[in-house]
Amino acid sequence: MSACLHNMKTANHILIFKTNITTPEDRLKVAAVLDQQPFISKWTVDTEDIDRVLRIESAIAATAPIIHLIRSRNYECAELED
Amino acid sequence: MRYRDENKMQAIRDCAIEMVAKNGLENFGINRLAKAAGVSPATIYIYYKDKEDLLTSISIEEGVKMTRATLKGFDPNASFREGLWVQWKNRAAFSLDNLQAAEFFEQLRNSTYKDKMREAISLEFRKSMGSFVENAVKRGEINEMPLEVYWSVAFAPLYALIRFHNEGQSLDGRKFKFSESIMKQTFDCVLKGLSK
Repeated sequence: MSACLHNMKTANHILIFKTNITTPEDRLKVAAVLDQQPFISKWTVDTEDIDRVLRIESAIAATAPIIHLIRSRNYECAELED
Repeated sequence: MRYRDENKMQAIRDCAIEMVAKNGLENFGINRLAKAAGVSPATIYIYYKDKEDLLTSISIEEGVKMTRATLKGFDPNASFREGLWVQWKNRAAFSLDNLQAAEFFEQLRNSTYKDKMREAISLEFRKSMGSFVENAVKRGEINEMPLEVYWSVAFAPLYALIRFHNEGQSLDGRKFKFSESIMKQTFDCVLKGLSK
């Protein structure tokens, strides 16, 4: 991995989304896209919560691209506002 | 952009401890916690990935806090009388200052969180306690006995007093308030019971 990409892995943005990612299968489908993003260092889905909260640690504030990625897999995704 | 805010994190933690202490684990959830703490669920998710992560991290922190408080000024080489008295004072102070934490631990009994907490109770703690008792046996101050017997005599009486105090009453509704002199009186009986 180049130094540039390596630096990108330093997560300083935590992005929180409301989704409908519910089952392990759902999780696998979104993993296919999320795991490919170099700016995402870590992500989790709280499938026990009613909002199925997707939490992403990211090097950039890529809120819109992430919503786009998740929706492209036919899941709901909206930023969970403060 | 979201930043970590230590004060907010502390408020979330305190509120979580209070909620679990009062209502147990069953009804506990991020959304309820958010409402009670006056923050949005999104804020809680900045710090913790889910309910389990939150409860695990609080359990570990509280376990460490308790260990530190209990070992404060404690010398495992001290005489049995001296060392046990430091233990009583430390444990009483911690329990009385951290009522919620004690209830929180009580609710976690038999949960996986309790195991995490147990792991957090340091090796140092076990070593100190173990060698303290060992030394006392070696010096002929107390008899060798199973750990359960030792604990039930050495510490359970103190926790019974603290429970009376927290409930504000003892037997048959008698009003009760914890005090150092009551503690000392009980301690002397315990010491007599354990001493050879």
